[in-house]
Amino acid sequence: MNKRESSKGEESSKREAKGGDVIIEVVTRLMVPFIQLFALYVIIHGAGGPGGGFQGGVIFGSSFILYAIAFGIVKAGNRFSESANTVFFSTGVYIYAGVGLLCVILSYGAAQFLNYGFIPLTHHFEENRALGMDLVEIGIGITVMAVITSIFFNLAWKRENEGGKKAGEGGGEGRRQAEGGEGRERREGRERREGRERREGRERREEVGG
Amino acid sequence: MMEWLVEEVFAKYNYWISIVLMLIGFYAMIAKENLVKKIIGLNIFQTAIFLFYISLGDIVGGTEPIVVEGFEGIYVNPLPHVLILTAIVVGVATTAVALSLVILMYEKYGTIEEPEIIEKEREGEA
Amino acid sequence: MKQLSAVALLFVIFLGSLFVYVAEDIPAFGDPNSAPNRYVKLFEIDAAGLEGDLEQGVLPASLVDNLEDEIEERGFPLPSGVARVSGKGEGEGEGEGEGEGEGEEAEGAWEAVIVPAETEQHFYPKEQKYYFIEKKGEKLWVYRYAPVKRYMEEGPNETNVPNMVTYILADYRGYDTLGETTVIFTAGVAVMLLLRRREKRPREK
Repeated sequence: MNKRESSKGEESSKREAKGGDVIIEVVTRLMVPFIQLFALYVIIHGAGGPGGGFQGGVIFGSSFILYAIAFGIVKAGNRFSESANTVFFSTGVYIYAGVGLLCVILSYGAAQFLNYGFIPLTHHFEENRALGMDLVEIGIGITVMAVITSIFFNLAWKRENEGGKKAGEGGGEGRRQAEGGEGRERREGRERREGRERREGRERREEVGG
Repeated sequence: MMEWLVEEVFAKYNYWISIVLMLIGFYAMIAKENLVKKIIGLNIFQTAIFLFYISLGDIVGGTEPIVVEGFEGIYVNPLPHVLILTAIVVGVATTAVALSLVILMYEKYGTIEEPEIIEKEREGEA
Repeated sequence: MKQLSAVALLFVIFLGSLFVYVAEDIPAFGDPNSAPNRYVKLFEIDAAGLEGDLEQGVLPASLVDNLEDEIEERGFPLPSGVARVSGKGEGEGEGEGEGEGEGEEAEGAWEAVIVPAETEQHFYPKEQKYYFIEKKGEKLWVYRYAPVKRYMEEGPNETNVPNMVTYILADYRGYDTLGETTVIFTAGVAVMLLLRRREKRPREK
């Protein structure tokens, strides 16, 4: 009886440590594209209602965080490569400063940095300003999305203790492995099993002896 | 006395609420010894300042600052909203860097209580 | 009590008393005439015979001496034109307008505009509302408008965007938003430098 309960506890705890509950996985896989679509809506409709670049970027980043929470940080980290994220950091800032420089160039050097009226997308000075604002908001959204995702993944990733330096009581927990906590569970399970075997071996020896 | 109370205290209740929050956050930043609690105190302090600044721009009977055709009312002052949007992002940046520093300190000392860290530093020197 | 808590409590009490001392300057909650929302008072001078010139849209000579001196010594730009504003609509909350003017002699309020002396620029308008002069009793009170007034009045015409917060953030104050994006970019780089995932990532089999 004891063996069966504890083994089921081991399995479920092992499964939860990897973050793989079936209902949560399926629902997350359904929800993530809709969250991203809503984020794009908030970015682009920032001119007509509440919203804008920063708000939409954070919502976009939160879809990646939802994926990481539901599937486990290891699986999510394998899926979103860090180098592609780093490219997006600077893309947003380039778009913003690029639009500003474009305005300087297109105003024939009249030093009108970030005066969107000079970008010849339509024929009205005022309409150009609205479209220039949309471009700039897209740039802000890209940067904020990449930064929020990157901060979360860097803070939540389990780090290997470099040099194996342990300090006091924190040392036991400080020794983490780069896998998703599976090592600890397996180690505890093994210890429990060994302890039980040792106890049963002792009982059998006592029965035989006595 | 009653007039003073109504004019100074009840008419400016946004100021008093935000002062209380500010002092709570300030006390937490100084007096608590856990590093994460200090960061929480910093966040409470920032939030109190944002609340006060946005509430300065409110107008009685005003509605949200989105221009609608044919509306004959008063719009709320939009300038504090703009400045606080920037300030919120700065707060997020500060909290992110502070938390990463706390993670590094935990790896080095094994604890995030300030007296124990000071003890370990003293033992390390001695 | 520990020493740190006692010191912190002392600081908190000191700061709290400072805040209470400053509380009389804070405007009431929801005040439509407070400094960030509408205008702030600069000074007041005697209104002896200056209204006639103000009515015609010209700064009167004696007002020029007084007003120019006072404005210049505070470092503000000089008004060059005066536009008449319908008295009752603006100065309603004052209380004096209802007492005296019953339609014959409405309490006057004038808006002084400033004209930039530089060459034509596409963006900055030809003239801009800056000062607000009102007659209260025997004196002329001179106010200065808050900067928001221009954003709220001319914004929907100059940019075809309904949301006020967005066009202030991305158009009138677009340079600040560029700095803001740089701030959050720097935060991402800083966290990445401190906590980089240096080891090889294990692939799940």
